[in-house]
Amino acid sequence: MDYFAGVDIGSTMTKVVIVRGDKIETSLIGPTGPEHRKLANRVMEEALGQARLSFDDLTYIVATGYGRINVPFADRQITEITCHAKGLQSLLPSVKTVIDVGGQDCKGIKILNGKVMNFVMNDKCAAGTGRFLEIIADSLGVPLNKIGEISLTADKIAPVSSTCTVFAEAEIISRLATGESIANLLAGIHDAVATRIAALVKKLNVEPDIAVTGGGAKNIGLVKALGSKFGRELLVPPEPLITGALGAALMGKDIYERYAAEGQRPSRSGKKLEEATFFA
Amino acid sequence: MAFVLGIDVGSGYSKAVVLEDGVVRSYAVIPSGGDYRKAGAAAAKEALDRAGITRANVVRTFAAGYGGSMVDFADDTSTDISCHAIGVHHLFPSVKTVMDIGAQYSRAIRLDDAGRIANFIMNEKCAGGSGKFLQVAARILHMNVSDIGELSLKAQKPVEFTTGCAVFAESEAVSRISEGASPADILAGIHNAMASKIVTLAMRVGLAPDYAVTGGGAMDIGLVNSIGAELGTKPLVPAHPQTTAALGAALLAWEQTKK
Repeated sequence: MDYFAGVDIGSTMTKVVIVRGDKIETSLIGPTGPEHRKLANRVMEEALGQARLSFDDLTYIVATGYGRINVPFADRQITEITCHAKGLQSLLPSVKTVIDVGGQDCKGIKILNGKVMNFVMNDKCAAGTGRFLEIIADSLGVPLNKIGEISLTADKIAPVSSTCTVFAEAEIISRLATGESIANLLAGIHDAVATRIAALVKKLNVEPDIAVTGGGAKNIGLVKALGSKFGRELLVPPEPLITGALGAALMGKDIYERYAAEGQRPSRSGKKLEEATFFA
Repeated sequence: MAFVLGIDVGSGYSKAVVLEDGVVRSYAVIPSGGDYRKAGAAAAKEALDRAGITRANVVRTFAAGYGGSMVDFADDTSTDISCHAIGVHHLFPSVKTVMDIGAQYSRAIRLDDAGRIANFIMNEKCAGGSGKFLQVAARILHMNVSDIGELSLKAQKPVEFTTGCAVFAESEAVSRISEGASPADILAGIHNAMASKIVTLAMRVGLAPDYAVTGGGAMDIGLVNSIGAELGTKPLVPAHPQTTAALGAALLAWEQTKK
């Protein structure tokens, strides 16, 4: 059976998924650095090692995400919104609305049968993105992966009035000085982010089920706060970061199967997993 | 001889202006810090000291600004928007559009021919068009905010920022620096990003010449030039751009003493 790979280069994290049939063979997540091309190679090599495969075992590779043009060994580039919809459909087929909270952006996607019906996106303002949570966690001296749980221990939500990340950071620091607890402030922060994201996503005709993906979905405090804005429990895939990469791999499989149905086999056009020079 | 005092307690700085028979005698600008009551009093004291008088010599005091209501010795208060309008109209009667760039807020004010406020808008939601953005820039480049303007004039090829968000621009600036962009090019890019936000804000109240830029942001020559480039004409800048609202407050106090 053939292997297909998806590479998702996000603003903050790079993800690789290799599928065989409809099943995930292996997945890998690493931080995106300033040099996308070198990193794409390294993450792919690691994923292949993990799956005990060689580069030539891969039948088709699709790159996605904001750095997708920097994957010289990919056979095709597809936008992350399309790949997200595809990945979600295979993981949680009942989902009609996806909220993807990334490191530096946030998207709302309406899906029908694995296809994108409509989407909204914010990549212009840090409020409502992972960056906001990262900055606040930093200024409170709490690890980013702990803020969600801590926010759930709050005895009340300390409201945060600033929308802008820069102002919210200053507001948080002055509230700490007046004795507000970290848990209550974090509850306020998660509520503020959820309000901002909900305002964006509600521009779509939101229909259940609703899923949360991206790094933000790993934050239980944010998922609960978002749930309260939509008045229902939100679904989260087992590994919310790899939805786009999974979708990319599955898109590759579809493309390949369409060729195969016509009796063709798309050539890998001699692509190799090697360091590319920038203007090659 | 009658002295009046105008005080503007802003989020970043507190300003005071002393008028003698309607003419500016002295002024002061001090950081507001965390205590607006003290800041207002300290700014007033410094301006009075410079005029060589005490509060006892002042017949009327007007306070304005974010912390204006905390100035307990003021006879009256007014909004900083109306004081801005009065101050700018006094200095530049031809001005119809005022862009005020404060430490945390930026505002656009549209004046009619008589200098009355026709419309105004305030941006308090986003640091992108405020002095805070310049502080972020100064921090990344390890320099003083007051040196930004001069250095930015040496830019060869201003960096083009993809967003006006101060947080995203900070990451972008760091990436561009690592790729070899000069501090001057970074700063000029930040000025352009800010100017675009500020002029967009002003467009929402209706752009009409002449234009004035006030507030601490107006002390940054690079930012003023970027705003000028965006407008297609050079804006007017008061000699002491931080004190226009305090001047307006003082002028209001003076008007009342004449009645």
